[in-house]
Amino acid sequence: MTTQPAIELRALSKRYGSTTALDAIDLTVDTGAVFGMIGPNGSGKTTTMRLLLDLIRPSSGSATVLGRDPRTGGPALRRHIGYLPGELRLEGRVTGRALLTHYARISGPIVPGGMQELADRLGLDLDRRVRTLSKGNKQKLGIVQAFMHRPRLLVLDEPTSGLDPIVQREFLTMVKEASANGQTVFLSSHVLSEIQQAAHAVAILRSGKIVSVNSVEKLRLTATRHVRAGFSGTTAEALRASLAGIPNLSRLDVVDGAGPTEVTAKIEGDIDAFVKAISRFTVADLAVEEPDLEESVLTLYGAAPEEAPRVD
Amino acid sequence: MSISEQAHHRAARLATSRLPVLRRSLGDSWRSLVGWSIGVTAAIFLYVPLFPSLGGKDSQMAKLIETLPPQLVRTLNYQNLTSGGGYVESTFFGLLGFVFIVIAATAWGTAAIAGDEESGGLELTLAHGVSRRQVVLERAIALVLRLAWLALLSFLLILALNTPAQLELTPARLAATAGAWLGLALLSGTAALMVGALTGRKLYATAAGAGVAVYGYVLNAIGNQQADLDWLRDLSPYGWAYQHTPLISGVDWGGLGLLYGFSILFLAVAVVALVRRDLKN
Repeated sequence: MTTQPAIELRALSKRYGSTTALDAIDLTVDTGAVFGMIGPNGSGKTTTMRLLLDLIRPSSGSATVLGRDPRTGGPALRRHIGYLPGELRLEGRVTGRALLTHYARISGPIVPGGMQELADRLGLDLDRRVRTLSKGNKQKLGIVQAFMHRPRLLVLDEPTSGLDPIVQREFLTMVKEASANGQTVFLSSHVLSEIQQAAHAVAILRSGKIVSVNSVEKLRLTATRHVRAGFSGTTAEALRASLAGIPNLSRLDVVDGAGPTEVTAKIEGDIDAFVKAISRFTVADLAVEEPDLEESVLTLYGAAPEEAPRVD
Repeated sequence: MSISEQAHHRAARLATSRLPVLRRSLGDSWRSLVGWSIGVTAAIFLYVPLFPSLGGKDSQMAKLIETLPPQLVRTLNYQNLTSGGGYVESTFFGLLGFVFIVIAATAWGTAAIAGDEESGGLELTLAHGVSRRQVVLERAIALVLRLAWLALLSFLLILALNTPAQLELTPARLAATAGAWLGLALLSGTAALMVGALTGRKLYATAAGAGVAVYGYVLNAIGNQQADLDWLRDLSPYGWAYQHTPLISGVDWGGLGLLYGFSILFLAVAVVALVRRDLKN
């Protein structure tokens, strides 16, 4: 076993005419890591992944994948990579099983029964014809296809899209198992929250550049959380007065309704002051959202995400 | 044998399967192959058995053709309709059969690269342990095998009808003509495959396959009109296949060489093109 990184990108660029899809990115992904790439559509995530698979070629810079250049690594290198395309379109009359068997014939040995086991975990029927599958089930088929030959490196472009929350959780468990198994997982998402439970570190991409690379732990400490609470036996004024002084709280909204008084707010970082402040009241309902790390990191780097009106 | 040994053997068998891309191509297209086989069979049975009543020197058909404008007769290649060879060449290999096999070849040649690329399947295939050259070559072999089957089927059916329909064909000449017909189809099929490999666009690939056929047919038809335009037929793939009437005069090696030579050239360009370029989204 060598300790060389699974992926090493040096000043990697991809230009299409006058547009730059990827602008001199540097990135190192250690062997055995779960590394996430986050960014809006068109930020360069898919371009990066397609470069790793030699589906497209860099305009300049270099990529090293499992110690090889994808340009020259050829089929031998790709047998060690499991790839899930971002826009997975599967067609054809064949069954899922026949399609997977075909890919297994190309990419080398799979553990017997491994295909079925993965399909069972994700709740996928392999005997149905591919073209009759829903988007979510096609996505599951794509995931099985990427995992089944136990590749040393998994390159997964938006793997959680189209999956319901239960399957998403099972998928993240598979990712953690792969990592524990020594496999490296490089995955992308346009929302960090979908992969933050599995990823060790994330790179934030914007307009073809890497804005930051952070460990998820560090992001969590500076995270932004949305909270919603309901209070009985008090008034909006009393609540406002008591919460107004908390320095890291913003977008406070207090509504007196027919039932409990509803409070929504945004808290950056430490949540302790808020919890202490509301403990004086009768709390009828409390919800603290899983921290939106993406929002916090983008705020941190002065690139606030295009804000859609938030419906809570 | 222990369970783990069995498992190992099964895994090894999956891993060492030969020509996986070719097998998949054939497996995916057998329905359309059956469809085209039925079409070709129907075309042969529609025309060929009618020769004794339609063809022949003093037949109704010969009299009808005499009344037609000579330009139209030459465009349709109907000058030799009174012999068995001329009849089969004009009605099947040069007309309906030509249209059928060119459409089949263009459709398969388009699907091989451009169609698969536009549908997103090629991206996933190429992400696996297979080279682009291997994908192009195996899919080209699949194309050749399917078209060769249609040529063999036509050869066998017409040979079976030879005596009952009083065609007086020799097997060698029939084989030479089926070979020319196949070459013409390969040219359209590899043109579609090549343009698909160059551009990744179905529309362009189909236009190339059909364009080669239309260009060849039109040039041949114009060249047929006057003796001093006859040289145009030397520039027409359709002319390469049929201008020396292989069903009557035997194999035309020069014409076959051009048809198959250009097909191989197109295939070589397809390999180089796909190996070099970026895959489209």
